[in-house]
Amino acid sequence: MQDAAGTAGARVNSEVDSLVRAAQRGDQDAFEQLVRAYDQSVLRLAMNLLRSPEDARDVYQEAFLRVYRNLHSFRFDCSFHTWLYRIVTNICLDQLRKRKVRKEEPAVVETSEGAIDRTEAFEEESAAANPERVTWNRQLGQRIDDALDELTPRERMVFELRHYQGLRLRNIGEILGTSEEAAKNCFFRATQKMRTLLGDLV
Amino acid sequence: MTCDAVRKLIPLYYYGELTPEEEDQAEAHIHECAPCARQMEAARTLAAALDRRRMEAPAALLADCRADLAAAVRGAAAEPAWRLWLQAAGATLAGFNRWRQPLGAVALIALGFFAARLIPAGSGSGVSTASLAPSEGVFVNVRSAQPDASGRVRIAYDETRRREVFGSIDKPEIQKLLLVAAREEDDPGVRVESVGLLKERAGSDEVREALMNALLHDTNPGVRLKALEGLKPLAAEPPVRGVLSRALEFDDNDAVRMQAVDLLTLRRDETMVGVLQNLVQKEDNSYVRSKCEKALKEMNASIGTF
Repeated sequence: MQDAAGTAGARVNSEVDSLVRAAQRGDQDAFEQLVRAYDQSVLRLAMNLLRSPEDARDVYQEAFLRVYRNLHSFRFDCSFHTWLYRIVTNICLDQLRKRKVRKEEPAVVETSEGAIDRTEAFEEESAAANPERVTWNRQLGQRIDDALDELTPRERMVFELRHYQGLRLRNIGEILGTSEEAAKNCFFRATQKMRTLLGDLV
Repeated sequence: MTCDAVRKLIPLYYYGELTPEEEDQAEAHIHECAPCARQMEAARTLAAALDRRRMEAPAALLADCRADLAAAVRGAAAEPAWRLWLQAAGATLAGFNRWRQPLGAVALIALGFFAARLIPAGSGSGVSTASLAPSEGVFVNVRSAQPDASGRVRIAYDETRRREVFGSIDKPEIQKLLLVAAREEDDPGVRVESVGLLKERAGSDEVREALMNALLHDTNPGVRLKALEGLKPLAAEPPVRGVLSRALEFDDNDAVRMQAVDLLTLRRDETMVGVLQNLVQKEDNSYVRSKCEKALKEMNASIGTF
């Protein structure tokens, strides 16, 4: 499913802009609609990058609070999506730089609907009934996680935004405050590293 | 175009990030060159493998994030002091037993109604507003609000005062509070924290009892998982094993059963055979089932009960 951040089903920009203007005037409903248009993709991004529901939750909260506090200073110099993603990627990059993702972080996070086993958030594993397949998927998942950990935070971010979030490299450059060319080079380095590390899978 | 040049373009080609001219050139080359075609295929396979690792944010997590944000935004909006105070009172009311809630809600609305009128009006109305605006850290539960003929109102309320204590977790009074919180606190977040802190002190009998109690009876799986972590070093003790085995048999949460089976099968224990055989038959979770089967095989016991 794609939401406003994706290419398909994107809200018409003018609709987003009018929500932003209403929210800037203090309309809480408009702010909530804005959040709901983008928050799934923000949470997915944070979850994919940090692989910890708790950290993803922190990123979500901090990002949208920053949006709430600074929305008055948004001048429509770029799309709201780009502006929002600048905030989100900055917070995530800080987190990634602060730590290499800990290997033994808690597997379970508490939510109001009970505990979530983060391994079950992976699409493949939850449905599989066959133990060997589960084991194989876990091993493959671990290999991929390890390979992703080898990327620099910036390479990881560019790769995430392109491969998992489906953003164009030009847009990624704009979000990360760099040129399309630099984003391309960074993405190329990331794919090369992945190829080297996961070469036996392909 | 040389093979080297094309290989540099392959990842970008796969993701559709080449200029139209570059794309034409790469396509023409790949069409003619088997090794480069294989490289292209490898890029596809790698992307497919990576796709399997795509994470979706669980719906419950999204719901919690939205609730957190809504609360934070409400807090951030500049609000008159009396409304913040009412929110604190509301939070206290929210923790009440269900049957009390309608009364609490009515009382809160009534209080909001009167507070909104009385507090900004200040003094001079013959009403002591001080009694309606308790100092910080005091939570109020309104029991009754009755207007009288003169247009004044009589409100009866209970006060709960918040206090803070600091101290090492080894101090008995701190542990006592944590034990109470682990057992009785309404907010599962507080119970998770309390059990999480207590689990470091599982050596004491009282704490061990509390952890076992939480594992068996707490309604929240997060609390039960914390309790399990605390019981880990004690997994050899018979009473702890009894509790673990009940959790393994009856807990409805997969993660709890997965942890319980791990702890129980760390060492050979023939008294477990019956429980394990039973689980092989009825357990839905494949991990738990396979751990049971493995433990049974190691004990040379039959997998099923025939």
